[in-house]
Amino acid sequence: MSLKYVTITTGFENYMPKDYVDLVRFGQFGKEYDIQELGTFKELVEEHPMCAGCFMAYFIRVFYASLPNPEDTIVIGTAGCARLALSQAAVPFIYGNYGDTNAVASGLKRALKIRFPDKEKDVVVVAGDGGLMDIGFGMTMHSWFRRENFTTIMVDNEVYGNTGGQESGMTRKGIQLKMAPKGKKFDKINAIELAKDAGCVYVARVAPTNPKRLAKTIKRAILAARHFGPTFIHAYTSCNIEYSIPTEKVLEDARMREKQDFSFVEWMTDEVKEYFEQIENTKKEEKQKV
Amino acid sequence: MYYVAETKIDKCSTYKCNQCVLFCPEPNTLMFLEQKNFAYVNQSRCKGCAICVYVCGDLLKRNCIEMVMATVSE
Ligand SMILES: Cc1ncc(C[n+]2csc(CCOP(=O)(O)OP(=O)(O)O)c2C)c(N)n1
Ligand code: SF4
Ligand code: SF4
Ligand code: SF4
Ligand SMILES: [Mg+2]
Repeated sequence: MSLKYVTITTGFENYMPKDYVDLVRFGQFGKEYDIQELGTFKELVEEHPMCAGCFMAYFIRVFYASLPNPEDTIVIGTAGCARLALSQAAVPFIYGNYGDTNAVASGLKRALKIRFPDKEKDVVVVAGDGGLMDIGFGMTMHSWFRRENFTTIMVDNEVYGNTGGQESGMTRKGIQLKMAPKGKKFDKINAIELAKDAGCVYVARVAPTNPKRLAKTIKRAILAARHFGPTFIHAYTSCNIEYSIPTEKVLEDARMREKQDFSFVEWMTDEVKEYFEQIENTKKEEKQKV
Repeated sequence: MYYVAETKIDKCSTYKCNQCVLFCPEPNTLMFLEQKNFAYVNQSRCKGCAICVYVCGDLLKRNCIEMVMATVSE
């Protein structure tokens, strides 16, 4: 059973680190918590060195709490801020070289299908705007052209945050940054339209202002990738350091951007829509029986 | 020396709400005690961003969290 690897060998409970024991006793393995129950269970992700008030860190917190099957998930990240927290979770993490995440994920997912033919193993890439839409652009696109069965999540802070503020293809036109003092000359890339055209079967754009919707979107993207093809989430995850947003205003900023240019978009193929309707109907029926 | 969040548990418990908990960027930090209906801060993990203060004060007008100077515990 997949859960065996987390359980503590009898007699060793007193010697294991407290955080680990908490994770096994009060954590997510083998249980499904609603995102609204955050704060009442031990979360998979641990303390990490991302900045105070970072909404990319917040997104990652909600991401781990939303995994449909954490014990059978592998997360792929790369250079950039996100991996600072992604690597601190009780979920296997692989560091793909910068730009290579979607090639690594393609190989891994194919290998997992061969090694575990009877089991769903979820592969999820979580990487920055620079990693996915600039330097890794070719790898990202080709994984979608090939219809690989995994989820790509772009945590878009509209800058190269980790290296001190260079502009990316996702930076908005006219924005000045520390290492782009003249201001960006070109428009922000329309990532969700590219994803649709390139063959993704589920595409969403979301600002982290509503945890319930965020969790549902993440779950859906992962489930659709299992059965139908590549899925993509474009998430606004501000960098309060490079954009000089006072930390207490980070949520206010996300709410403002959501109104301006980051409204929620969810698109899927008819096949995927039918699948979700089926699942939701079965859940309703089960509830009624109870 | 730095600031950390602190909830006013008596006042908080009257609202039967956990909204701030859902927006803290840090995992396992702003916790919720279901039996008693209040939020509390694991201060050694709090990074002092005050997003929780924005949620409880500015958005909900409940003012049950404030930032306080961290103290060293033995
Ligand atoms: C092959 C390679 N090229 C360049 C770098 C340097 N590098 C590290 S992080 C980074 C940019 C990160 O920007 P983004 O992907 O948007 O992530 P963020 O830090 O903004 O979350 C770069 C260029 C690297 N580590 N590897
Ligand atoms: S530099 Fe920006 S994106 Fe990176 S951890 Fe800090 S606030 Fe977050
Ligand atoms: S938002 Fe305010 S009232 Fe609600 S749980 Fe947090 S501290 Fe309590
Ligand atoms: S100040 Fe920030 S890190 Fe601390 S409890 Fe509030 S939201 Fe969480
Ligand atoms: Mg970035």
